[in-house]
Amino acid sequence: MPLVEVRALTKEYSKGDQKITPLKDAHLDVERGDLVSLMGASGSGKSTLLNMIAGIDRPTTGNVVVDGTDITRMSRSKLAAWRAQHVGYIFQMHNLIPVLTAYENVEMPLLLLPLSSAERRKRIEIALDAVGLADRADHYPRQLSGGQEQRVGIARAIVADPAVVVGDEPTGDLDAESTEQILLLLQRLNKELGTTLIIVTHDPKTAAIARRRIRLEKGELVEAGAPILKRELQRA
Amino acid sequence: MLGFRLLPWEYGVRNLFRRPGRSVLTLGGLTLVVLLVFVVVGFVRGLETSLAVSGDPRVVLIHSLGGGDNLENSSIPARSAALLSASLEGVQRRQGTAYASPELFLGTNVSTEGDAEPAMGAVRGITPAAILVRRRVQVIEGAWPKAGEVLVGRLASAKLGRGAAALAVGRTLAIEGQSWRVSGHFAATGSALEAELWCPLEDLQRAMKRQDISLVAVTLAPGLDAGVIDEFCKERLDLELAATPETGYYASLQKHYKPVRTLAWLMMCLVAGAGVFAGLNTMYGSVVGRIRELATLQTVGFSRRAITIGLIQEATLLAAAGAVVAAVIALLLINGAAVRFTSGAFVLRIDSVALLIGCGTGLMLGFVGALPPAFKALRMPIIEGLKAV
Repeated sequence: MPLVEVRALTKEYSKGDQKITPLKDAHLDVERGDLVSLMGASGSGKSTLLNMIAGIDRPTTGNVVVDGTDITRMSRSKLAAWRAQHVGYIFQMHNLIPVLTAYENVEMPLLLLPLSSAERRKRIEIALDAVGLADRADHYPRQLSGGQEQRVGIARAIVADPAVVVGDEPTGDLDAESTEQILLLLQRLNKELGTTLIIVTHDPKTAAIARRRIRLEKGELVEAGAPILKRELQRA
Repeated sequence: MLGFRLLPWEYGVRNLFRRPGRSVLTLGGLTLVVLLVFVVVGFVRGLETSLAVSGDPRVVLIHSLGGGDNLENSSIPARSAALLSASLEGVQRRQGTAYASPELFLGTNVSTEGDAEPAMGAVRGITPAAILVRRRVQVIEGAWPKAGEVLVGRLASAKLGRGAAALAVGRTLAIEGQSWRVSGHFAATGSALEAELWCPLEDLQRAMKRQDISLVAVTLAPGLDAGVIDEFCKERLDLELAATPETGYYASLQKHYKPVRTLAWLMMCLVAGAGVFAGLNTMYGSVVGRIRELATLQTVGFSRRAITIGLIQEATLLAAAGAVVAAVIALLLINGAAVRFTSGAFVLRIDSVALLIGCGTGLMLGFVGALPPAFKALRMPIIEGLKAV
């Protein structure tokens, strides 16, 4: 059973008199432990799809099932609680809380889980160690470089051991050297920890680390030049 | 227990230091607002307390018919005191002495040394019997006045609008053109008497060229009520006297000041309203700069309620700090400051009730000020919030 099942997902909204459809009848399965990249031009719907998988946006029609749970019908508060346990989000701009240290930033998702402070400490140390920043735990975001900030962001995304980690242009705000480091880190996390990763990117180099590369064209999913899954489903 | 997890306490506290300039300005604004609330509440509490403690439930004032509203207008024959002492059975006595104090009470011009302009003072001509009836009066400095001397209430300088030094023991005052030496000072548990100048009755009568007195204050014998005196006054219509319990007299004065109190409370509400805008301004500024951060917190899994409570916590912390600073300033500088009003003077009172109202208003400002910006920020969809600059 796939970890993420996207079925007939459509997103529509109105802008003035115009009806905009950033995502149209999308179907996608992501297996546990997969590393998927979503590419496409601006406005192709890749971030919309990612946000709906992450449970921070709602579809107009269709379903998203993650780890057996249909999240499209959940109430706002239940969805918030679900996100805390099941999704890690890596942001393009890192989005660290400036008044909290690296340690405290990584701790944020754990505060939502029923864990003792000792358990939290252990998990945070492991996460910071995994991203190579154990020695920067007491540093505030302003005391870190862009690459280090993003590594803290990744530690925050994986610390609760979520079912799926999503990244919206995780290397979009980094220089070449930092991008290299982050990509290596993401690959390591996927290979060594079996973390399921779905990454939205413009950058072919970032997309290249993925095992599956999916393109979005005008709101429709295309893999290796053909609509995916829907075609397979129709064939079946 | 809440059904959701709150943001860590440190997050709210540290956010206050994120923009120190703005926080300090807001703290100053909130402190000023709460301080103004303290001034207003201290004024109302001082006025109310002064009038409330002024009446002695065992003292009845016997004055001329129709003179009960303002004792300065009352005039009764000087012999009334002796007549009442002899005739009234309900008056407390000790070793044959009736607790009846004949008094001449008037508002008149009073000048202190070096004054260009006299001020309106409350002067009471008394006899030694006054100390029997006015149980709360205590000479706190100097001595009881002899002929040509005056005993000064501790708020009399405030009533006259002069510094305390102008009424120091040994200084001289001019009342109706005659010189009086200050013999001492008295206190009367914060009652309206403290704004008065007491001098020997006969001397005052002579200075004022008056033969009459304003009233006779009598102490009721234990267990009796004012009805006994009232009955006597109604039976002896020829004397044209009326009796008013002293508590009733000051209660009627309180009614006169009701519009002042209403105005004071209205002013407090306006000041508090201005404070809400100060709080709103700060929180709007704080929240607008953190929309992406708040959206991030929601993405991580914190509920809107938790984030709203976090923002309220921040604003309330700042407001609480402002309230504490204002309370300290109020206790040190405002509490006990004398204020004069038409019929006397009183001190501003920052008591437990004033502290409760002042600090409560401060916390309310923080709470109310945080809600609209919090709702505004959190109504925004998460994905839009994440795109905010």
